Amino acid sequence: MNAAADLPLAGRVAIVTGGCGGIGRAICDRLVREGAHVFAADLVGHCGAGVNFHEHDVTSEQSTTDLMERVRTEHGRLDILVNVAGIEIELTIEDTTLDDWNRIFSVNVTGTFLACKHALPLMREAGRGSIINFGSYDGFIADPQLAAYCATKGAVHALTRAMACDHGPENIRVNAVCPGFIDTPMLQSFFGEAGDSDRLWQEARNVHPIRRYGTPEDVANLVNWLAGDEAGYASGQLWVLDGGLTAQVQQMRL
Amino acid sequence: MGDGQYSKRLAGKTAVVTGGGRGIGRAIVERFMGEGAAVLSCGRSERPDNFPREAHWIRADVSDTGDVRALGSAVERIFGRLSILVNNAGIQIEKTVLETTDEDWETLMGVNARGVFACSREMIPLMDEGGSIINIGSISGSTADPGLALYNASKAFVHGLTRSIAVDHGPKIRCNAISPGWIMTEMADAAFAVADDPEKAKRDALARHPAGRFGDPSDIAALASWLASDDALFATGQCYTLDGGLTAASPLNPCLF
Repeated sequence: MNAAADLPLAGRVAIVTGGCGGIGRAICDRLVREGAHVFAADLVGHCGAGVNFHEHDVTSEQSTTDLMERVRTEHGRLDILVNVAGIEIELTIEDTTLDDWNRIFSVNVTGTFLACKHALPLMREAGRGSIINFGSYDGFIADPQLAAYCATKGAVHALTRAMACDHGPENIRVNAVCPGFIDTPMLQSFFGEAGDSDRLWQEARNVHPIRRYGTPEDVANLVNWLAGDEAGYASGQLWVLDGGLTAQVQQMRL
Repeated sequence: MGDGQYSKRLAGKTAVVTGGGRGIGRAIVERFMGEGAAVLSCGRSERPDNFPREAHWIRADVSDTGDVRALGSAVERIFGRLSILVNNAGIQIEKTVLETTDEDWETLMGVNARGVFACSREMIPLMDEGGSIINIGSISGSTADPGLALYNASKAFVHGLTRSIAVDHGPKIRCNAISPGWIMTEMADAAFAVADDPEKAKRDALARHPAGRFGDPSDIAALASWLASDDALFATGQCYTLDGGLTAASPLNPCLF
Protein backbone atom coordinates (compact mmCIF):
# COMPACT_ATOMS: atom_id res chain seq x y z
CA MET A 1 0.00 0.00 0.00
CA ASN A 2 2.98 2.34 -0.19
CA ALA A 3 2.95 3.41 -3.82
CA ALA A 4 0.82 6.51 -4.36
CA ALA A 5 -1.15 4.76 -7.11
CA ASP A 6 -2.29 2.13 -4.59
CA LEU A 7 -3.77 4.65 -2.17
CA PRO A 8 -7.56 4.28 -1.79
CA LEU A 9 -8.32 7.72 -3.26
CA ALA A 10 -5.47 7.83 -5.77
CA GLY A 11 -6.33 10.13 -8.67
CA ARG A 12 -9.66 11.26 -7.18
CA VAL A 13 -10.45 14.97 -7.33
CA ALA A 14 -12.04 16.51 -4.25
CA ILE A 15 -13.41 19.91 -3.20
CA VAL A 16 -13.79 20.75 0.48
CA THR A 17 -15.69 23.98 1.17
CA GLY A 18 -14.70 25.61 4.42
CA GLY A 19 -11.49 23.71 3.84
CA CYS A 20 -9.35 26.03 5.95
CA GLY A 21 -11.43 25.81 9.14
CA GLY A 22 -10.75 23.32 11.94
CA ILE A 23 -12.76 20.40 10.61
CA GLY A 24 -12.22 21.32 6.94
CA ARG A 25 -8.45 21.32 7.34
CA ALA A 26 -8.45 17.88 8.96
CA ILE A 27 -10.57 16.56 6.08
CA CYS A 28 -8.27 18.07 3.43
CA ASP A 29 -5.20 16.60 5.12
CA ARG A 30 -6.79 13.16 5.34
CA LEU A 31 -7.98 13.13 1.72
CA VAL A 32 -4.49 14.18 0.56
CA ARG A 33 -2.93 11.36 2.61
CA GLU A 34 -5.32 8.94 0.88
CA GLY A 35 -4.08 10.08 -2.52
CA ALA A 36 -6.70 12.62 -3.66
CA HIS A 37 -6.16 15.96 -5.43
CA VAL A 38 -7.79 18.34 -2.97
CA PHE A 39 -9.11 21.88 -3.36
CA ALA A 40 -9.73 23.74 -0.10
CA ALA A 41 -12.35 26.33 -0.99
CA ASP A 42 -12.62 29.05 1.63
CA LEU A 43 -12.91 32.80 2.11
CA VAL A 44 -9.43 33.15 3.56
CA GLY A 45 -6.88 31.07 5.35
CA HIS A 46 -4.06 28.75 4.65
CA CYS A 47 -4.15 25.05 4.18
CA GLY A 48 -1.85 22.10 4.68
CA ALA A 49 0.83 20.69 2.42
CA GLY A 50 -0.40 19.31 -0.87
CA VAL A 51 -3.77 21.09 -0.68
CA ASN A 52 -4.79 23.64 -3.35
CA PHE A 53 -6.32 26.75 -1.82
CA HIS A 54 -9.12 28.38 -3.81
CA GLU A 55 -10.62 31.66 -2.62
CA HIS A 56 -14.34 31.02 -2.50
CA ASP A 57 -17.58 32.46 -1.13
CA VAL A 58 -20.14 29.65 -0.88
CA THR A 59 -23.05 32.11 -0.95
CA SER A 60 -22.11 33.39 -4.43
CA GLU A 61 -23.17 31.49 -7.54
CA GLN A 62 -20.47 33.24 -9.57
CA SER A 63 -17.82 32.20 -7.04
CA THR A 64 -19.15 28.62 -7.19
CA THR A 65 -19.09 28.40 -10.99
CA ASP A 66 -15.57 29.92 -10.97
CA LEU A 67 -14.44 27.17 -8.58
CA MET A 68 -15.97 24.44 -10.74
CA GLU A 69 -14.43 25.98 -13.87
CA ARG A 70 -10.99 25.81 -12.29
CA VAL A 71 -11.49 22.15 -11.38
CA ARG A 72 -12.76 21.44 -14.90
CA THR A 73 -9.72 23.14 -16.45
CA GLU A 74 -7.20 21.38 -14.22
CA HIS A 75 -8.79 17.93 -13.95
CA GLY A 76 -11.83 17.71 -16.20
CA ARG A 77 -13.95 16.08 -13.52
CA LEU A 78 -14.84 15.90 -9.81
CA ASP A 79 -15.19 12.77 -7.66
CA ILE A 80 -15.73 14.08 -4.14
CA LEU A 81 -17.50 17.19 -2.78
CA VAL A 82 -17.46 17.90 0.95
CA ASN A 83 -19.66 20.82 2.02
CA VAL A 84 -18.15 21.81 5.35
CA ALA A 85 -18.59 25.60 5.22
CA GLY A 86 -21.03 26.67 7.90
CA ILE A 87 -21.69 29.33 10.49
CA GLU A 88 -23.54 29.42 13.80
CA ILE A 89 -25.66 32.18 15.31
CA GLU A 90 -26.25 31.83 19.04
CA LEU A 91 -29.70 33.35 19.45
CA THR A 92 -33.36 32.47 19.90
CA ILE A 93 -35.62 33.41 16.99
CA GLU A 94 -36.88 36.52 18.82
CA ASP A 95 -33.38 37.93 18.88
CA THR A 96 -32.55 36.73 15.35
CA THR A 97 -32.94 39.49 12.78
CA LEU A 98 -34.09 38.73 9.27
CA ASP A 99 -30.57 39.60 8.13
CA ASP A 100 -29.10 37.05 10.57
CA TRP A 101 -31.58 34.44 9.35
CA ASN A 102 -30.84 35.09 5.70
CA ARG A 103 -27.10 35.07 6.32
CA ILE A 104 -26.99 31.68 8.08
CA PHE A 105 -29.31 30.12 5.48
CA SER A 106 -27.20 31.56 2.67
CA VAL A 107 -24.04 29.92 4.01
CA ASN A 108 -25.32 26.63 5.47
CA VAL A 109 -28.13 25.81 3.03
CA THR A 110 -27.74 27.91 -0.13
CA GLY A 111 -23.99 27.27 -0.05
CA THR A 112 -24.61 23.52 0.00
CA PHE A 113 -27.23 23.81 -2.76
CA LEU A 114 -24.97 25.87 -5.05
CA ALA A 115 -21.93 23.65 -4.64
CA CYS A 116 -23.94 20.48 -5.27
CA LYS A 117 -25.82 21.95 -8.24
CA HIS A 118 -22.66 23.03 -10.03
CA ALA A 119 -20.65 19.95 -9.03
CA LEU A 120 -23.10 17.50 -10.66
CA PRO A 121 -21.93 18.07 -14.27
CA LEU A 122 -18.31 17.47 -13.20
CA MET A 123 -19.30 14.30 -11.34
CA ARG A 124 -21.01 13.02 -14.48
CA GLU A 125 -17.66 13.49 -16.23
CA ALA A 126 -16.11 11.26 -13.56
CA GLY A 127 -18.89 8.69 -13.94
CA ARG A 128 -19.32 8.67 -10.18
CA GLY A 129 -19.51 11.01 -7.25
CA SER A 130 -19.65 11.14 -3.50
CA ILE A 131 -21.19 14.24 -1.96
CA ILE A 132 -20.80 14.64 1.79
CA ASN A 133 -22.85 17.41 3.36
CA PHE A 134 -22.51 18.75 6.86
CA GLY A 135 -25.65 18.25 8.88
CA SER A 136 -25.52 18.18 12.65
CA TYR A 137 -27.02 16.31 15.53
CA ASP A 138 -28.73 19.72 16.04
CA GLY A 139 -30.77 18.87 12.94
CA PHE A 140 -32.48 16.16 15.03
CA ILE A 141 -32.62 17.67 18.51
CA ALA A 142 -32.19 21.26 19.64
CA ASP A 143 -29.48 22.99 21.59
CA PRO A 144 -30.68 26.12 23.38
CA GLN A 145 -30.34 29.45 21.59
CA LEU A 146 -29.29 27.99 18.26
CA ALA A 147 -32.69 28.16 16.58
CA ALA A 148 -31.68 29.30 13.10
CA TYR A 149 -28.65 26.99 13.12
CA CYS A 150 -30.83 23.97 14.00
CA ALA A 151 -33.21 24.90 11.17
CA THR A 152 -30.42 25.12 8.60
CA LYS A 153 -29.14 21.70 9.56
CA GLY A 154 -32.62 20.19 9.25
CA ALA A 155 -32.74 21.65 5.74
CA VAL A 156 -29.39 20.10 4.87
CA HIS A 157 -30.63 16.70 6.08
CA ALA A 158 -33.72 16.84 3.86
CA LEU A 159 -31.70 18.08 0.87
CA THR A 160 -29.29 15.17 1.38
CA ARG A 161 -32.05 12.57 1.12
CA ALA A 162 -33.64 14.33 -1.87
CA MET A 163 -30.40 14.49 -3.83
CA ALA A 164 -29.62 10.85 -3.01
CA CYS A 165 -32.92 9.85 -4.59
CA ASP A 166 -32.50 12.04 -7.65
CA HIS A 167 -28.87 11.33 -8.48
CA GLY A 168 -28.30 7.79 -7.22
CA PRO A 169 -29.05 6.30 -10.64
CA GLU A 170 -26.11 8.33 -12.01
CA ASN A 171 -23.78 6.67 -9.50
CA ILE A 172 -23.67 9.78 -7.35
CA ARG A 173 -23.98 9.04 -3.65
CA VAL A 174 -25.11 11.74 -1.23
CA ASN A 175 -24.72 11.49 2.54
CA ALA A 176 -24.53 13.88 5.46
CA VAL A 177 -22.18 13.76 8.41
CA CYS A 178 -23.92 14.92 11.59
CA PRO A 179 -21.31 15.74 14.21
CA GLY A 180 -22.11 16.19 17.86
CA PHE A 181 -19.75 18.20 20.05
CA ILE A 182 -16.45 18.57 18.22
CA ASP A 183 -13.59 20.47 19.87
CA THR A 184 -13.43 23.51 17.56
CA PRO A 185 -13.53 27.30 18.01
CA MET A 186 -17.29 27.12 17.22
CA LEU A 187 -17.84 24.89 20.24
CA GLN A 188 -15.70 27.06 22.51
CA SER A 189 -17.76 30.06 21.42
CA PHE A 190 -20.95 28.16 22.28
CA PHE A 191 -19.67 27.47 25.82
CA GLY A 192 -18.24 30.97 26.16
CA GLU A 193 -21.67 32.51 25.56
CA ALA A 194 -23.08 30.40 28.34
CA GLY A 195 -20.96 31.82 31.20
CA ASP A 196 -18.78 29.57 33.41
CA SER A 197 -17.22 27.90 30.42
CA ASP A 198 -14.59 25.71 32.16
CA ARG A 199 -17.13 24.02 34.38
CA LEU A 200 -19.57 23.60 31.49
CA TRP A 201 -16.80 22.17 29.35
CA GLN A 202 -16.11 19.43 31.92
CA GLU A 203 -19.74 18.66 32.70
CA ALA A 204 -20.86 18.47 29.10
CA ARG A 205 -17.91 16.23 28.28
CA ASN A 206 -18.91 13.82 31.03
CA VAL A 207 -22.43 13.45 29.65
CA HIS A 208 -20.89 11.73 26.62
CA PRO A 209 -20.80 7.93 26.95
CA ILE A 210 -17.31 8.14 25.44
CA ARG A 211 -16.24 10.84 27.96
CA ARG A 212 -14.53 13.13 25.48
CA TYR A 213 -15.30 15.60 22.74
CA GLY A 214 -14.82 14.67 19.12
CA THR A 215 -11.79 15.90 17.24
CA PRO A 216 -11.67 17.24 13.69
CA GLU A 217 -9.74 14.04 12.87
CA ASP A 218 -12.65 11.89 14.09
CA VAL A 219 -14.90 13.69 11.62
CA ALA A 220 -12.31 13.42 8.86
CA ASN A 221 -12.13 9.66 9.44
CA LEU A 222 -15.85 9.31 8.71
CA VAL A 223 -15.75 11.67 5.72
CA ASN A 224 -12.87 9.65 4.31
CA TRP A 225 -14.86 6.43 4.64
CA LEU A 226 -17.92 7.93 2.94
CA ALA A 227 -15.79 9.47 0.17
CA GLY A 228 -14.31 6.20 -1.04
CA ASP A 229 -15.40 2.96 -2.67
CA GLU A 230 -15.69 1.19 0.68
CA ALA A 231 -18.95 3.10 1.18
CA GLY A 232 -20.25 2.19 -2.30
CA TYR A 233 -23.68 1.19 -0.93
CA ALA A 234 -24.03 4.12 1.48
CA SER A 235 -26.38 6.83 0.22
CA GLY A 236 -29.15 9.08 1.49
CA GLN A 237 -28.13 8.64 5.10
CA LEU A 238 -27.41 10.97 7.99
CA TRP A 239 -24.31 9.71 9.80
CA VAL A 240 -24.41 10.88 13.40
CA LEU A 241 -20.97 10.97 15.03
CA ASP A 242 -21.38 12.16 18.59
CA GLY A 243 -19.59 9.89 21.05
CA GLY A 244 -22.92 8.37 22.06
CA LEU A 245 -24.46 11.66 23.20
CA THR A 246 -27.83 11.20 21.50
CA ALA A 247 -28.09 7.47 22.27
CA GLN A 248 -29.22 8.44 25.76
CA VAL A 249 -32.14 10.32 27.26
CA GLN A 250 -31.26 13.74 28.63
CA GLN A 251 -29.52 13.28 31.96
CA MET A 252 -31.54 14.53 34.92
CA ARG A 253 -29.76 15.99 37.95
CA LEU A 254 -31.23 13.91 40.75
CA MET B 1 -10.07 -11.26 -3.25
CA GLY B 2 -6.62 -11.56 -1.77
CA ASP B 3 -5.61 -10.30 1.66
CA GLY B 4 -3.13 -7.88 0.13
CA GLN B 5 -5.80 -5.32 -0.71
CA TYR B 6 -6.47 -4.44 2.94
CA SER B 7 -4.55 -2.22 5.29
CA LYS B 8 -4.21 -4.75 8.16
CA ARG B 9 -5.76 -2.16 10.43
CA LEU B 10 -7.14 -4.90 12.69
CA ALA B 11 -3.77 -6.60 13.14
CA GLY B 12 -3.37 -7.94 16.68
CA LYS B 13 -7.11 -7.78 17.38
CA THR B 14 -9.34 -10.71 18.24
CA ALA B 15 -12.90 -10.96 17.00
CA VAL B 16 -16.01 -13.07 17.51
CA VAL B 17 -18.53 -13.07 14.67
CA THR B 18 -21.69 -15.02 15.46
CA GLY B 19 -23.38 -16.80 12.57
CA GLY B 20 -20.33 -16.44 10.35
CA GLY B 21 -20.94 -19.56 8.28
CA ARG B 22 -22.57 -17.76 5.36
CA GLY B 23 -24.08 -14.52 4.12
CA ILE B 24 -23.21 -11.25 5.84
CA GLY B 25 -21.48 -12.97 8.76
CA ARG B 26 -19.19 -14.89 6.44
CA ALA B 27 -18.25 -11.70 4.57
CA ILE B 28 -17.36 -10.06 7.91
CA VAL B 29 -15.25 -13.08 8.96
CA GLU B 30 -13.28 -12.92 5.71
CA ARG B 31 -12.90 -9.15 5.78
CA PHE B 32 -11.67 -9.15 9.39
CA MET B 33 -9.16 -11.88 8.54
CA GLY B 34 -8.02 -9.82 5.56
CA GLU B 35 -7.48 -6.89 7.95
CA GLY B 36 -5.26 -9.03 10.14
CA ALA B 37 -7.64 -9.98 12.98
CA ALA B 38 -7.85 -13.43 14.57
CA VAL B 39 -11.45 -14.59 14.19
CA LEU B 40 -13.68 -17.07 15.98
CA SER B 41 -17.13 -17.77 14.61
CA CYS B 42 -19.99 -20.00 15.60
CA GLY B 43 -23.22 -21.39 14.26
CA ARG B 44 -25.85 -24.00 14.99
CA SER B 45 -24.24 -26.49 12.63
CA GLU B 46 -20.80 -28.01 12.45
CA ARG B 47 -17.98 -26.08 10.80
CA PRO B 48 -18.93 -25.45 7.14
CA ASP B 49 -16.70 -27.35 4.69
CA ASN B 50 -15.51 -24.22 2.93
CA PHE B 51 -14.95 -22.16 6.10
CA PRO B 52 -11.54 -20.36 6.09
CA ARG B 53 -8.91 -22.66 7.55
CA GLU B 54 -7.23 -19.95 9.65
CA ALA B 55 -10.48 -18.98 11.41
CA HIS B 56 -11.79 -20.77 14.47
CA TRP B 57 -15.25 -22.30 14.58
CA ILE B 58 -17.29 -23.76 17.36
CA ARG B 59 -20.79 -25.14 17.24
CA ALA B 60 -22.96 -22.85 19.35
CA ASP B 61 -26.57 -21.71 19.22
CA VAL B 62 -26.67 -18.11 20.49
CA SER B 63 -30.25 -18.60 21.73
CA ASP B 64 -28.95 -21.17 24.23
CA THR B 65 -27.27 -19.41 27.13
CA GLY B 66 -25.32 -22.58 27.94
CA ASP B 67 -23.86 -22.55 24.43
CA VAL B 68 -23.05 -18.85 24.82
CA ARG B 69 -21.13 -19.60 28.05
CA ALA B 70 -19.19 -22.23 26.12
CA LEU B 71 -18.47 -19.61 23.44
CA GLY B 72 -17.06 -17.32 26.14
CA SER B 73 -14.88 -20.14 27.46
CA ALA B 74 -13.62 -20.78 23.92
CA VAL B 75 -12.69 -17.10 23.58
CA GLU B 76 -10.72 -17.24 26.86
CA ARG B 77 -9.00 -20.47 25.85
CA ILE B 78 -8.13 -19.44 22.28
CA PHE B 79 -7.62 -15.65 22.51
CA GLY B 80 -7.46 -14.76 26.20
CA ARG B 81 -9.07 -11.35 25.63
CA LEU B 82 -11.53 -10.10 23.01
CA SER B 83 -11.33 -6.87 20.98
CA ILE B 84 -14.40 -7.08 18.73
CA LEU B 85 -17.81 -8.76 18.99
CA VAL B 86 -20.12 -8.85 15.97
CA ASN B 87 -23.62 -9.99 16.90
CA ASN B 88 -24.61 -11.11 13.43
CA ALA B 89 -26.54 -14.35 13.95
CA GLY B 90 -30.17 -13.79 13.10
CA ILE B 91 -33.17 -15.54 11.64
CA GLN B 92 -36.41 -14.44 10.04
CA ILE B 93 -39.91 -15.92 10.06
CA GLU B 94 -42.26 -14.67 7.36
CA LYS B 95 -45.47 -14.30 9.38
CA THR B 96 -47.86 -11.68 10.69
CA VAL B 97 -48.69 -11.51 14.41
CA LEU B 98 -51.83 -13.64 13.91
CA GLU B 99 -49.92 -16.42 12.17
CA THR B 100 -47.08 -16.48 14.70
CA THR B 101 -47.03 -19.30 17.24
CA ASP B 102 -45.45 -19.35 20.70
CA GLU B 103 -42.78 -21.65 19.26
CA ASP B 104 -42.05 -19.09 16.53
CA TRP B 105 -41.61 -16.44 19.25
CA GLU B 106 -39.19 -18.64 21.18
CA THR B 107 -37.20 -19.47 18.06
CA LEU B 108 -36.95 -15.99 16.58
CA MET B 109 -36.64 -13.90 19.74
CA GLY B 110 -34.28 -16.56 21.12
CA VAL B 111 -31.76 -15.93 18.36
CA ASN B 112 -32.31 -12.27 17.39
CA ALA B 113 -32.96 -10.81 20.84
CA ARG B 114 -31.76 -13.20 23.59
CA GLY B 115 -28.75 -14.15 21.47
CA VAL B 116 -27.52 -10.57 21.13
CA PHE B 117 -28.13 -9.94 24.84
CA ALA B 118 -26.49 -13.17 25.98
CA CYS B 119 -23.42 -12.83 23.76
CA SER B 120 -22.92 -9.23 24.86
CA ARG B 121 -23.29 -10.16 28.54
CA GLU B 122 -20.79 -13.00 28.09
CA MET B 123 -18.21 -11.06 26.08
CA ILE B 124 -18.15 -7.59 27.69
CA PRO B 125 -16.16 -8.86 30.69
CA LEU B 126 -13.63 -10.32 28.25
CA MET B 127 -13.10 -6.96 26.55
CA ASP B 128 -10.64 -4.25 27.54
CA GLU B 129 -10.56 -0.48 26.96
CA GLY B 130 -11.19 0.09 23.26
CA GLY B 131 -13.49 -2.89 22.74
CA SER B 132 -16.01 -2.59 19.93
CA ILE B 133 -19.39 -4.31 19.68
CA ILE B 134 -21.16 -4.26 16.32
CA ASN B 135 -24.74 -5.49 16.17
CA ILE B 136 -26.51 -6.29 12.94
CA GLY B 137 -29.85 -4.50 13.10
CA SER B 138 -32.01 -3.83 10.07
CA ILE B 139 -33.90 -1.09 8.27
CA SER B 140 -36.86 -3.26 9.31
CA GLY B 141 -36.16 -2.27 12.93
CA SER B 142 -37.26 1.29 12.11
CA THR B 143 -39.76 0.73 9.30
CA ALA B 144 -41.90 -2.41 8.93
CA ASP B 145 -41.51 -4.96 6.20
CA PRO B 146 -44.89 -6.61 5.58
CA GLY B 147 -45.35 -10.13 6.94
CA LEU B 148 -42.22 -10.06 9.09
CA ALA B 149 -43.80 -8.98 12.38
CA LEU B 150 -41.47 -10.55 14.93
CA TYR B 151 -38.38 -10.05 12.80
CA ASN B 152 -39.08 -6.31 12.57
CA ALA B 153 -39.68 -6.11 16.33
CA SER B 154 -36.57 -8.14 17.13
CA LYS B 155 -34.42 -5.72 15.14
CA ALA B 156 -35.93 -2.76 17.02
CA PHE B 157 -34.78 -4.59 20.16
CA VAL B 158 -31.27 -4.82 18.71
CA HIS B 159 -31.24 -1.06 18.03
CA GLY B 160 -32.41 -0.34 21.59
CA LEU B 161 -29.86 -2.65 23.19
CA THR B 162 -27.13 -1.07 21.06
CA ARG B 163 -27.82 2.32 22.66
CA SER B 164 -27.97 0.82 26.16
CA ILE B 165 -24.64 -0.94 25.82
CA ALA B 166 -23.03 2.25 24.46
CA VAL B 167 -24.38 4.33 27.35
CA ASP B 168 -23.70 1.79 30.13
CA HIS B 169 -20.33 0.47 28.99
CA GLY B 170 -18.73 3.55 27.40
CA PRO B 171 -16.14 4.88 27.36
CA LYS B 172 -14.50 1.47 27.75
CA ILE B 173 -16.53 -0.17 25.01
CA ARG B 174 -18.10 1.33 21.90
CA CYS B 175 -21.28 -0.24 20.58
CA ASN B 176 -22.95 0.49 17.25
CA ALA B 177 -25.42 -1.25 14.98
CA ILE B 178 -25.46 -1.58 11.22
CA SER B 179 -28.92 -1.56 9.65
CA PRO B 180 -28.63 -3.26 6.28
CA GLY B 181 -31.27 -2.84 3.62
CA TRP B 182 -31.73 -5.53 0.99
CA ILE B 183 -28.51 -7.50 0.93
CA MET B 184 -28.35 -10.40 -1.50
CA THR B 185 -28.27 -13.43 0.75
CA GLU B 186 -30.35 -16.59 1.11
CA MET B 187 -32.42 -14.67 3.67
CA ALA B 188 -33.37 -12.02 1.11
CA ASP B 189 -34.29 -14.72 -1.41
CA ALA B 190 -36.57 -16.28 1.21
CA ALA B 191 -38.30 -12.93 1.71
CA PHE B 192 -38.88 -12.48 -2.03
CA ALA B 193 -40.12 -16.08 -2.28
CA VAL B 194 -43.31 -15.20 -0.38
CA ALA B 195 -44.32 -12.67 -3.07
CA ASP B 196 -46.97 -13.69 -5.64
CA ASP B 197 -44.41 -13.09 -8.37
CA PRO B 198 -40.89 -13.14 -6.84
CA GLU B 199 -39.16 -11.93 -10.03
CA LYS B 200 -41.55 -8.99 -10.39
CA ALA B 201 -41.12 -8.20 -6.69
CA LYS B 202 -37.37 -8.17 -7.15
CA ARG B 203 -37.55 -5.80 -10.14
CA ASP B 204 -39.86 -3.48 -8.20
CA ALA B 205 -37.56 -3.51 -5.16
CA LEU B 206 -34.55 -2.79 -7.32
CA ALA B 207 -36.22 0.25 -8.89
CA ARG B 208 -36.65 1.71 -5.40
CA HIS B 209 -32.90 1.75 -4.73
CA PRO B 210 -31.20 5.03 -5.69
CA ALA B 211 -27.96 3.05 -5.83
CA GLY B 212 -29.47 0.95 -8.63
CA ARG B 213 -28.47 -2.34 -7.06
CA PHE B 214 -29.07 -4.55 -4.06
CA GLY B 215 -26.39 -4.69 -1.41
CA ASP B 216 -23.66 -7.28 -1.24
CA PRO B 217 -22.46 -8.85 2.03
CA SER B 218 -19.09 -7.19 1.36
CA ASP B 219 -20.78 -3.75 1.63
CA ILE B 220 -21.78 -4.57 5.21
CA ALA B 221 -18.37 -6.04 5.96
CA ALA B 222 -16.74 -2.79 4.81
CA LEU B 223 -18.73 -0.78 7.36
CA ALA B 224 -18.15 -3.38 10.09
CA SER B 225 -14.43 -3.13 9.42
CA TRP B 226 -14.58 0.68 9.70
CA LEU B 227 -16.55 0.50 12.96
CA ALA B 228 -14.08 -1.99 14.41
CA SER B 229 -11.12 0.18 13.46
CA ASP B 230 -9.42 3.13 15.14
CA ASP B 231 -11.01 5.41 12.52
CA ALA B 232 -14.31 5.05 14.40
CA LEU B 233 -13.15 5.92 17.93
CA PHE B 234 -15.81 8.65 18.34
CA ALA B 235 -18.64 6.54 16.90
CA THR B 236 -20.85 4.92 19.53
CA GLY B 237 -24.53 4.39 20.26
CA GLN B 238 -25.54 4.76 16.62
CA CYS B 239 -27.48 2.60 14.17
CA TYR B 240 -25.92 3.25 10.79
CA THR B 241 -28.12 2.41 7.82
CA LEU B 242 -26.54 0.95 4.70
CA ASP B 243 -29.28 0.45 2.17
CA GLY B 244 -28.35 2.01 -1.17
CA GLY B 245 -30.63 4.95 -0.40
CA LEU B 246 -33.83 2.87 -0.07
CA THR B 247 -35.13 4.47 3.14
CA ALA B 248 -34.18 8.00 2.08
CA ALA B 249 -37.03 7.85 -0.44
CA SER B 250 -40.75 7.80 0.22
CA PRO B 251 -42.48 4.45 -0.41
CA LEU B 252 -44.90 6.36 -2.69
CA ASN B 253 -42.71 6.43 -5.76
CA PRO B 254 -44.97 7.63 -8.61
CA CYS B 255 -42.84 6.14 -11.38
CA LEU B 256 -43.57 2.65 -9.99
CA PHE B 257 -47.36 2.85 -10.33
